[in-house]
Amino acid sequence: MKRRNFVRALAVTPAAGSLLAQRPAPAVDEPPKIEISVADAVAESTPRFLNKAQFDALEKLGDLLLPAINGAPGSREVEAPQFLDFLIGRSDAARQMAYTAGLDGLNAQAHRQFNKPFADLDNSKAATLLGSLHQTWTYEEPSDPVARFLRVAKADLRTATLNSREYGAGKRFTGSGLYWYPLD
Amino acid sequence: MATIDYDVLIIGSGASGGMAANTLTRSGVKCLMLDAGPLVDFNRQRQQKQAYELPYHGFGEPGKLPHVVQANEFNAHQWVDEKEVPYTHDPSTPYNWVRVRMIGGKSLFWARMSFRLSDYEFKAKDHDGFGENWPIDHATLAPFYSRVEPIFRVSGRREGLKQLPDGEFEEDTTPWSESMSRFIVQAKKRDIPVTKMRRALGRGQFASSYNLLIPDAVQTGNLTIVANAVVRNLTVDRNTGLVDGVNFVDRHSKREMHAKARVVVVAASCLESTRILLNSKIANSSGALGHYLHDQTYITQGVVAIDKSRNGNQGGGSGGYVPRFVNLKKGNEEDFIRGYAFDFNLAGTPDPKYIPAYGAELEKALNDYRGRAASVTIMGEVLPRYENCVTIDNNLVDAYGIPVLHFQCKYTDNEAKMLKHAMTTFEELCRESNFETLAKHDQPWPPGYSIHELGTCRMGDDPKKSVLNKWNQSHDIKNLFVVDGSSFVTGGYQNPTMTILSLSMRASEYIVDQMKARAI
Repeated sequence: MKRRNFVRALAVTPAAGSLLAQRPAPAVDEPPKIEISVADAVAESTPRFLNKAQFDALEKLGDLLLPAINGAPGSREVEAPQFLDFLIGRSDAARQMAYTAGLDGLNAQAHRQFNKPFADLDNSKAATLLGSLHQTWTYEEPSDPVARFLRVAKADLRTATLNSREYGAGKRFTGSGLYWYPLD
Repeated sequence: MATIDYDVLIIGSGASGGMAANTLTRSGVKCLMLDAGPLVDFNRQRQQKQAYELPYHGFGEPGKLPHVVQANEFNAHQWVDEKEVPYTHDPSTPYNWVRVRMIGGKSLFWARMSFRLSDYEFKAKDHDGFGENWPIDHATLAPFYSRVEPIFRVSGRREGLKQLPDGEFEEDTTPWSESMSRFIVQAKKRDIPVTKMRRALGRGQFASSYNLLIPDAVQTGNLTIVANAVVRNLTVDRNTGLVDGVNFVDRHSKREMHAKARVVVVAASCLESTRILLNSKIANSSGALGHYLHDQTYITQGVVAIDKSRNGNQGGGSGGYVPRFVNLKKGNEEDFIRGYAFDFNLAGTPDPKYIPAYGAELEKALNDYRGRAASVTIMGEVLPRYENCVTIDNNLVDAYGIPVLHFQCKYTDNEAKMLKHAMTTFEELCRESNFETLAKHDQPWPPGYSIHELGTCRMGDDPKKSVLNKWNQSHDIKNLFVVDGSSFVTGGYQNPTMTILSLSMRASEYIVDQMKARAI
């Protein structure tokens, strides 16, 4: 018997009706609440926009700008560079250029001064290339592309880290808000 | 179905449209209200979420809403989509046109700062010779302010300042913090007043036409609201020259419709109202329609400074407001005209970008500075100039086939000098109050940022220089009224909502009187 016909048969059979009546009926016929996860909890994103040298430099930069401190995960632990790789890949040309020129510039400076890519420098040597972040903030952006990039990266790595699922998991303050769905 | 003839058709449901509906319907006038957006079920429309649950983790979708600085990934859908309703400007002179289309309009999201204009604004030309006076003064509008303020439950402290008239406040008796007391002492030495913020408390989570004005109007049985009705233009009776209704487009189906009324009240917000009139090709014998666009010029985080004391935030509130204090006395003028205000707080935490450090050093500094940072938003008067204007761009239409606006607007030396003066003054006040400057700048956001666009259908006694008379009534078409911020002659440094509401109430009572007298 097809399901549709079976249901129809139940509806007209008193005995079947009695059987159903004996079962404890749910109080309200509500749809089930099913918990779902987010992609970041189960998978890693694949770097697609930055080349390997650029990505490695960004990861190293994250270690310096936002290291794990006092039990809070840092940029590397929450995979902030992977997220930024995705975000920058979706962004306009100016933002993409800021990242690629900045990261290429960092690598070029590292090679020039230490004969190594930025990612391979120890922290004290890498820090010597981040001097512009110790300068007083000005409204005008720095003219040097590396300094300009470092300013952007400082903000972006921080946001990507603090807004991550892993950062929030420790009951630390993370980005949250009242989300608006598209208007009907 | 036969078209119903309404007494008054109101375009827009924000502060001005809501007040018109409230005032008119309670006087027995049958009104039809059209709004371009939906009636929002806020419980269904919004949900608390973590940033990591959003596709771009709180950064926002790249390229979405490039002109809306206030937008973020959480609230992006509350603003008008710039691709759906675009506008144009020269790339060298950007304009940030920030819009909301839903029942309640921008009154759902305003900052609630609630001020009166003074005669320094209403009679500004008398004071410094620039531009035009309003055809009304503070005394004329005061009774209406006094009725609006209790509806919105404005909190504040009566100060007796001529440049910021007192209102019917719910008295703010909260004490000042230690750092504010210190700041006030220094300000007083310079004859600079410091007040508590004047803010609409509203009811529940809103201080909006949505909850404070429209429900009472609906209760009368005299208000019909149609949502998702995008007005294309007003229609005119060829025999009488009077407006007789509007053409509108249903937002979902794109169906073209026409609604009729004896009187039309345009309250779609300054620039949408102007766009509707320009597309209607009416009410512009003066040539002033679309011109004299102004707002307030804004600098955010103009000065960021750290309190050297560690107990500054103790004892009370650390937020304050400094109303205009420059150019009040003739013979004592600065190298610019008009004035500005400070909205400031002395007990915040600085944005990490202002701290010249990173890593552990930055975290240490943030912990150290928490609750000790002064920051200021500077709000300056923008001069209404003929050349700052909107026109119809006939080369582009929106998603509803309606021609869009083209903006030509930029700030001038007067605004630049004013902002530099403001930044310098606030930094000096901070320094004198034992704060150390971390960062400062005097660069404003592009025009439009304040969401206080004003002046493009200005009122005046002279029909050759103004679009509306002193009753917000078209000089050209007596049954056409424009009751939003477009009717302003000057905007001052003050947030405009209380003035918009008061003007709309006053104009609506005039409409009732004129309808009773069969004059319209």
